[in-house]
Amino acid sequence: MSTARFKVSVDTHRCVGAGHCVRIVPEVFDQRESDGIVLLLEELPPAELTPYLEKAVRLCPARAIELQDAADDNAAI
Amino acid sequence: MTPPDCPVFPFRREDPLSPPPQYALARADGAVCPVSLWNGKRAWLVTRQAEIRELLSDDKRFSGAMADPNFPTVTAARVAVDKNERAFVGMDNPEHDRYRRLFTREFSVRRMQALKPKIAAIAESLIDEMERAGPPVDLVAMLAVKFPSLVMSELFGSPYEDHPFIIRCAVARHGLTQSTGEAETKARELADYVLRLIHSKEANPGDDMVSRIIVEQVHTGHLTREEFADIGAMILRAGHDTTTNMIGMGTLLLLEHDDLRTQLAAEPELVEAAVEELLRFVSPVQFSPRRVALEDVEVGGVQIPKGEGLFMLLASANRDEAVFDRPNQLDFARDASHHLTFGYGIHQCLGQMLARYELHILFNTLLRRLPGLRLAVPLEQIRFKHDMQIYGVHNLPVAW
Repeated sequence: MSTARFKVSVDTHRCVGAGHCVRIVPEVFDQRESDGIVLLLEELPPAELTPYLEKAVRLCPARAIELQDAADDNAAI
Repeated sequence: MTPPDCPVFPFRREDPLSPPPQYALARADGAVCPVSLWNGKRAWLVTRQAEIRELLSDDKRFSGAMADPNFPTVTAARVAVDKNERAFVGMDNPEHDRYRRLFTREFSVRRMQALKPKIAAIAESLIDEMERAGPPVDLVAMLAVKFPSLVMSELFGSPYEDHPFIIRCAVARHGLTQSTGEAETKARELADYVLRLIHSKEANPGDDMVSRIIVEQVHTGHLTREEFADIGAMILRAGHDTTTNMIGMGTLLLLEHDDLRTQLAAEPELVEAAVEELLRFVSPVQFSPRRVALEDVEVGGVQIPKGEGLFMLLASANRDEAVFDRPNQLDFARDASHHLTFGYGIHQCLGQMLARYELHILFNTLLRRLPGLRLAVPLEQIRFKHDMQIYGVHNLPVAW
């Protein structure tokens, strides 16, 4: 498994539960059973998921997903 | 007041399969275009994807509160129904999120995926009926209208036999020619209908959305029955008219493009990309979302005064040359998933995953079951919905 390119964060206050991220990258995102709001499953997903993460960011109508360079995290590991 | 040279909105389509030609001219001309409405008020058309995405993300400077007297409308009847809109579709935050979140999990990806076998069985049974009736049949009456009705009946819990009434209520709201009285009456009748359904499900619960929301949200004090009735009416209307029109227009486009139909029939796994492209190309919702400027704002270099209304033209954004190559070409090979057909921002369609799965299943089932599907009349005999706020076809006679 490759190292992470991005560190993913989600804003559960902004999320409106449209579900794009869950459909595009189910390895990384899910929806809380209690209210359908985003649940982050994997903060540092493998680099091969990068195009899908970028698509999830592009489609999220609430702009609730952020990708930050994971370089710092990788250096720390 | 509106300057005399301001065009009157809405425009009429020249080609029934393309948005009005004024949209492309307006896009080339600037990000916004002033128009005059039926009541003489000025409003602004926002025609490009970039500005629409920005505006729909900016709830500090733009309001989507439908009760605002400045909220722009395309008919007098719409003023009356907007004023009385009490579902979260017509609310700003924080109220919007509070109510939407009570319903979000009902439309989660997982829940919608779990519905797929039932949706597939509904598609098969309706095509059985079409085969029994024998060609020619009107695909709108026998499939495009019935399919979402049966799915909503299954999901929401509204008895199937009530659906002609629900559709009449949706049409009264979405028409361009209804009287104010007719639109108001049908809006009230539908909310009253859902309220009666809530009472009946309280007495006799089932495995459906109404019964679950009663237990989870009404009995816990998060939602009153009256609030639920208004939101339920919105969900029922939205669940019918939009999907019905995507099925009618989508099928017509497949029939008009032999190459794409053949390709999709041969490779059913293409359906996800095909449906995104059909959603982009059709963009059935014509005159929403709308916003009111909460302060003097600049959009694309144009000053828009506080209190003026804006129409986000999704059908125009979906043909935006800056975002889509050859936007007027229907092309299943493109990734069209960033279309704005379901809107953008906090109000983006709550039922969009349901709509997607319905359309995936329906088009694949239709092409598999009726491979010889064709129009039974010349294109000129198809009646297009120039008279509706949600575009589509009134009829689609087909044979196979």
